[in-house]
Parts: sequence; structure tokens; C-alpha cells
Amino acid sequence: MKKKSYILALFADFDVAAHSIAALRNSSIKGFKMKDVTLKSPIDHPECAAELGDRPVYIQLFSAMGAILGASLGFLAISSAQANFLRQPRGGFPLIPIPPNMVITYELFILTSVFFTIIACYVVFAIHRVKSTLYSAEISVDKIGILVKADPEAIPGIKQIFSTHHALEIKESQ
Amino acid sequence: MSFDNLTANWSKLRVKRPQPDMYKDAPYKWAMVIDLDACTGCNACTTACYAENNLPVVGKDRFLAGQAMHWLRIERYWGEGTEHTQEFPEQGAQFLPMMCQQCEAAPCEIVCPVGATHHTPDGLNSQVYNRCIGSRYCSANCPYKVRYFNWYNYPETAWASPLEQQLNPDVTVRSKGVMEKCTFCVQRLTEAKNKARTEGRTVRDGEVVTACAQACPTSAIHFGNLADPTSTVARMWMAQQVELAAHPQSKDEQREKEGPLDENAETLRGYRILEELRTFPSVVYLERIRSSEA
Amino acid sequence: MSNPHDETEIAAEPRFVPKPKDIDSDIAWAEINGDVLRSLERPRPLFWVIFFGSLGLFLWGVYCEIYQYNTGLGVADLENPHVWGLYIATFIFWIGMSHSGTLLSAILHLMHADWRKPIYRFAEAMTTFSLMTAGLFVLVHLGRVWQFYYVVAYPSERWTWPNFSSPLVWDATAIGSYLTTSVIFLYFGMIPDLAICRDKATGIRRLFYRAMSVGWMGTDRQWANFRITYLTIACLLIPLAVSVHSIVATDFAVSQQPGWHTTSFPPYFVAGALYSGCAAIITLFIILRYTFRFEQYMTIPILEKLCKLTFAISMVWTYLNLIEYASVWYGTDSFAKQALIYRATGTYAGWWWAMNILGSIVPFTLTFKAMRTNIPAMMIVSLLLNLGMWIERFMIISPTFAHGYYPWTWIDGWWPNWVQVGIILGSFGWFTMLFMLFCKIFPSVSMYEVKEMVYHRRAPKKHRAAHAQPVGQAQPDPS
Repeated sequence: MKKKSYILALFADFDVAAHSIAALRNSSIKGFKMKDVTLKSPIDHPECAAELGDRPVYIQLFSAMGAILGASLGFLAISSAQANFLRQPRGGFPLIPIPPNMVITYELFILTSVFFTIIACYVVFAIHRVKSTLYSAEISVDKIGILVKADPEAIPGIKQIFSTHHALEIKESQ
Repeated sequence: MSFDNLTANWSKLRVKRPQPDMYKDAPYKWAMVIDLDACTGCNACTTACYAENNLPVVGKDRFLAGQAMHWLRIERYWGEGTEHTQEFPEQGAQFLPMMCQQCEAAPCEIVCPVGATHHTPDGLNSQVYNRCIGSRYCSANCPYKVRYFNWYNYPETAWASPLEQQLNPDVTVRSKGVMEKCTFCVQRLTEAKNKARTEGRTVRDGEVVTACAQACPTSAIHFGNLADPTSTVARMWMAQQVELAAHPQSKDEQREKEGPLDENAETLRGYRILEELRTFPSVVYLERIRSSEA
Repeated sequence: MSNPHDETEIAAEPRFVPKPKDIDSDIAWAEINGDVLRSLERPRPLFWVIFFGSLGLFLWGVYCEIYQYNTGLGVADLENPHVWGLYIATFIFWIGMSHSGTLLSAILHLMHADWRKPIYRFAEAMTTFSLMTAGLFVLVHLGRVWQFYYVVAYPSERWTWPNFSSPLVWDATAIGSYLTTSVIFLYFGMIPDLAICRDKATGIRRLFYRAMSVGWMGTDRQWANFRITYLTIACLLIPLAVSVHSIVATDFAVSQQPGWHTTSFPPYFVAGALYSGCAAIITLFIILRYTFRFEQYMTIPILEKLCKLTFAISMVWTYLNLIEYASVWYGTDSFAKQALIYRATGTYAGWWWAMNILGSIVPFTLTFKAMRTNIPAMMIVSLLLNLGMWIERFMIISPTFAHGYYPWTWIDGWWPNWVQVGIILGSFGWFTMLFMLFCKIFPSVSMYEVKEMVYHRRAPKKHRAAHAQPVGQAQPDPS
């Protein structure tokens, strides 16, 4: 695998950044793929991010999985526990009463769904961690950054595109 | 293993209680009849209960603060024509011995968070001291308020030496933080059942009595096995037309026709307290036969 | 970069003039960061005075609990039949306070009410710490505290399990789930802010924030997943929050005791919870606004909206309260009617009427704009409303115990003693300590959400695509 380089450019606002991304996409520079282009920003901006292409989010699948698992396993676990008390009935009610079991199953389904959602999110964060030390603290304040992972030959071309689109600062790494 | 248990016994696990005739084939269902006409309020039953079940005497201050431990209490009621202008204003009280009614559909059993109270196959409401964590929800839910909480650590203070020698060795001494209540002297019942089983029979009527029934001078308290149709208690329940698992009771018109004045010994005067709450208690009280303008 | 935005600002202005004293859309993002991060700096002496005062209160509560633990619950002056005291009342009070955070962060998030953005962070913190405080009371009120774990469904060698039919076990499950989910939600929503703290911190704090911000870089993928996760947890948290206080209500509603056996209890409790939570948010709003000089973010219009929300909830609570009385009064259950008459005319009558006045009449002060915009008045009103709600919980518990089904067990009235009061004050001290620590370690205003709020107010969506707008600066970009 060829060693990749990274280049980070900072912009003042989302529209300029969006134009840069469009330019990158339309350019004929070889040596990088659009999926290696990352937008970094202090707030969320779905329209700008949409310029990068379709990046689907699958978190809610895991939430649904967690919900179903939590509900079914919860109900089974509680009913199995209650079934041990055949010789010790309580209060005239059946040993496996449906309303109390529904209450606890409901709580467990929500809890399990939340756990699955959070774990899925962390796994996604870990998978898409960009292995680069290029970062500017200005991104957490008010600048927009675009990070591109590319072959070293492609870097000057990319840098040119950034400069023509009013980049405030450009950083490179090896 | 639990999952197989679940599927195999599903129908048994879903049954509600009490069912009519559910004790028909059972060997024991302990019940009581208390004749309020015979009760003189002498408190012998309460004292016997203290002695039999290792109840701590809490002292006057704590009694007045409402922290008494009497499993069986004698309640006094005035009214119904009583005049309070008499020389002795406490005259004319009606007495009612109240203890755990061992309800078939006990409201206390269902709310204990740790499951320290259940219904035994004998028909008793059991209290498991070493499981109790003292949330007191059972007492909050009891309509009769016959559950008593150990507010202090009585074993340390209640029986100064040599009083601890008189404690009943068959009964646990409870520490602070656990709930307790009348058990129908379950230690006596267990001993009698074991003895009977060794001899290959069931307990005979009258062979085992609770401490309160034993001590009562007027025989106001009758205790026995409701599942045995020949026992005193079962015959009294049948005579009073009270069915264990029924509410409302279907009684014939005799009661409506007869007034308070009645020489007929078979007058229907048996009732269960707060029956409309559908707790299905195991204690039938026989209403006091009133003299004129009592 | 000549100033194309001059025209656009003029074009935008007629439609987007910010209201006076509302969040200024001219605030620079860097200024937002600076203002909020300033609140994390070394605290002034007054902070330590209040902190150690709360600690002292908490230690007094601990002392009372140790005395009670060693001697027995009798020292709390509880008796038969009044077996539950202020511990349960205050437990319900604290759980109730916790609902406001969820209301603000989750429910208003789904409704796109952006005025919640500066205030929901400390509200969520309040939720988490209220739940932790409520958990203390569950332990304090047990007779054998050291065996509390019997309530947890763990596999034991005796095959004993808790009684799942008991509302207290539902409580344990629900509150455990709610606390876990609230902590997750609070922490997760803070990750972008923790990244800001990481970038600006030095020394050991930098290590702490770096660990806490789990490598947040603000990338588009991270944002997209973050947004969906946040939304999903918010959607799950709302039914959970509603169910938690409903389940606490079923502690009473499934019991057949007179005065408790009402189907309207679950919604009544949830309404009361939102009510006391909103009142507490107003109190903390005023305190934080003054302490950290957040006047630019926690503006008076936001306070006004909070007050209107509190008023609306108070009317819902009033309705459910009155409907409970009406259904008992016109019903056939003589026991329940007797219980209601005892509440209104018996030993607790003064407290009961105080609860109704504080809960139903005092909120009408919120209908006056002069009151809503007057900070000292709102401080007093919010404290009075919370007092009313605390009395409500006391009035649910005590009269039913004092005047139940069985006349022989009726007592004149029950009043708490120094042990109970001491433990309750200790719980307030505990909550205050935790909240103060939170405000000094974590940003109590959500920086990234305020930036979004400012951005969206300055640049309406349909103009944004067409014109280049300055994102983070008030002035046009000189470069």
C-alpha cells in the first residue's frame, strides 16, 4: 500500500467549504477518493456534508435489534424466575401475572435499546477514526476544516483547489 | 431448567386464587371462628400470644407512641346506644380480638419487594423473617393493619436476664427491621403435623390449638382445619353459611327476617371483617347478640 | 471577499430582526466558547462557602442516618399504622424533580424548540443528580438497609428472586433504567463540548477532557451518527421518563388503601413531576445566570417561555388534582370520600389547603408579564411552587395512613421529628454539592447548541444556500 499523506484546510464558513468540496469532486486529480474526504466543523451541517456523497447511518438498526432482544429476553427471564415459586403463591394473583411482567419488560426493552444504540455509535466512531494527527483547535471554535487523505502526488493539486477557494490556513503532513 | 419448568406448568402458573373448593382435597386449611358474644375482653389471649411467640413488651412510652408489638389485639368499641354519662364511662364496650386474618387473597403478599410473604399450601400467610428487608409495604397495604414492625432491636433490651429463659425455643426472636404478625402459631401446627405424619394420619380436630384459643376462658376462639368437614370450625362456617372463596356470600333470608332479638341459636351472625375488599379472610367473627338497647 | 453579505444582511433583516434582549444573533462563536469556558475557571470564595455548607448539611444527614441505622427506624417516630414517613414523600419529590431535564432536552428537542438550547444542559444534570438523591432515600427507608440487594434480580444459590409483582421492584427497574439512560444521555450530549474543553485545557485537565471526549474531531460522519444517536435516545427517553413516575405512582395506585386507589394517579404524578421540575429549572436558571454572568445566553425571553411552560403544566396538574376530588366526591366509594373529607378538614387540613393554594393559585402569578420578567419575584415563586409540590407528596402519604379502612387504627396525625428532617436536609446538601461540582467541571451551557441557535437565527435556511454568510464572526471576514 502506498503511504498516504494528509492535507487539512480551514475555511471561514460552510458555503465556501461546500464549494471546495464540489470542486474536489469535479476535479480530475487522481490519487484520492471522495470517501477519504472528511469535513470537520463545530456544528452539524447536513447540507454541506451532503456534498461529500451518501454516507448512510445504520444506528437505528441496532436500536431496533436491542429493543426486540431486550423485550423478549426480559419477559422470558422474569417469567422463568416467577415460575420457581409454584409452592409460594402471592396475593391471589397468578404466579406469572401479565401486567407486572409487561411493566418490567417495557423498562428493559428501553434500557437494552439505549445500550445497543450507544455501543453502535461508539463502534462507528472507532471504525471511522481518521488516523491523522492533523487537527486545529480552531475547528472547535468557529472554523470549518476539510481533511483529505491522498497520495503524495495528488497533494499539490488539492492544495491548489483549496487556495483558490479562500482557505484561511492549509496544513500538510507526511 | 427454568424454561422447561415454565412451559410444563404454564396453566398452573396462571391460576388465580382463591378458587372455589380449592381446599377440598387438601389435608389442611387452617381457619378460626371468634365468638364476639363470648369475648369478655380479658386479654388472656393476648398474653398467651406474647408468651408463645416471644413478643417483646415495648414499655408504656413506646406503646403510646404506637410502636406496640401485640400480634393479637383486643379492640374496644362503644356506640350503638351506649350512654357515656354513666359512672364508669368505659362500661358497655364491645370487644373484638383482631389478628392477621390469613387472607386467601392477601393484599400484603403481592407487594413485598423481596417476596418475604406468601401463601402456604396450608392456607396460612407466611412471613419469612430472614428475607424481609423492612420496606413496610405489606403493612401499608394491609386493610386491618395487623402487621407489626420491629422498630428497635428488642432482643437487646426486652428480656433482661433471666427473662430470656422463658422464651419459646420453637420461635425465632426477631431483630430490628423485620415485619412480623400472627402466624396461627405455626410452630405448634408444624409439630402436630409432623407427629401425625409419623403416625401415618392427619391431625385430628382439637389436637392442635393456637395459644390464644387455648388460653381463652370463655372459649370464644375456635381454631381448626376447614378442609376437614367434621371439624368444629368447618361445621361453624357451614352453619353460618360463610364460604371461604366467595364474595358476596349467598345467605338465605333468615338473617333479614330476624331482628336483633333472637333466641334461635342458629341465627346467622357470622361475618368476615372488611369482606367487601375481597381479601377472603380465614377468620369468621360471630356478631354479638345484643341485649335490648345495649 | 468583498462584502456580499452586506446585501444579504439587508435582505434578511426585515424578517429576522432578533427580539430585544433575546439571544443576540450577533454573538461570535469564539465569544460563546470564551463565556462558557470562563465558568469552568477557579471558583470564587463564595462557591466554597456554599459548597462546604452543603457538605455540612449532608454530613448532618449522614449522622442522623447512622443513628437510625444503629438504633432502628423507631427513632424516626414512625408507628403502626403510619409506617411510611417523609422518606417516601421526599423520594417521590426527588424523582419528580428529575423529569424536567428530560422534558427540556428530549421532548423540546423533538418539538424543535430552540429556546431550550442554552438551558437544557444544567437541567439534565439536575435530572441525574435528583435521581441519585432519590436513590439514597430508598436505602434510608428500609428496615434492614444492609440487605437492600435482595431487590435486585441476581441468581442466588437459593433460587430466590425478588417479587416482580411488587411495585417497588418496578420502581427499582424503572429508576435504574432511567438513571442509567439519563447519565448516558447527559454524557453523550456533552461530547462535542468536552472536545472544546479539551482543546482549550492545559495540564491534567487536558488529559481528563481528552479521555472524556473519546476522540471527537467534529467530522461529518461523527456528526451524522451523533445526531441520529442523540435523537434515538431522546425518543427512547421520553416514554421511559413518563413510565418512571407512573410506576412510582403505582406504588400507591395498585394498593387498595382509601385515598390511593385511583387510576388517575399515574398521570397525576407525572404532571406533578414536570411541574416541580420546571419550577426547579427556573430556580437554577436564575442562580446560574447570576453566578456565571450568562445574561447573554439565559435571556429573559427564555425565562418567560419557561414560566409559560410551568404555568401550562400547573394547569394540567390542577385539572388532574380536581378531577381526583370530583370523581371521589361524586362516586360511591364511601371509604375514599371519607379519606378526602379527612384531608380537607382533619389534622392535616392546613397543609392540604396550603398545597392546593401553592399548587393551583400561586401559578397564576405567572400570567403577568411583569412577574415573569422580574427575577427576584420568579425566584420566590419557583421556590413556593416546589414547596407546594413537596407538600403534595406529604399529603398523599400521611392522611391515608392516619385514617385508613380500620377505625380502631386511626391516629390523630403524625409529624416528623429531627431524624427525618435531618436526613431530608442532608439530601438537599448532597444534591447541591453534586450540582456545584458539575458546574465547575463540565460546561453548564451547551456551547455547540448555542452556536447552532445563533447560526440558524442569523441565516435562514433558504438564504444560506444562495448567499455566503459569515459563520463564526460578527463582522465580515476581513481576509
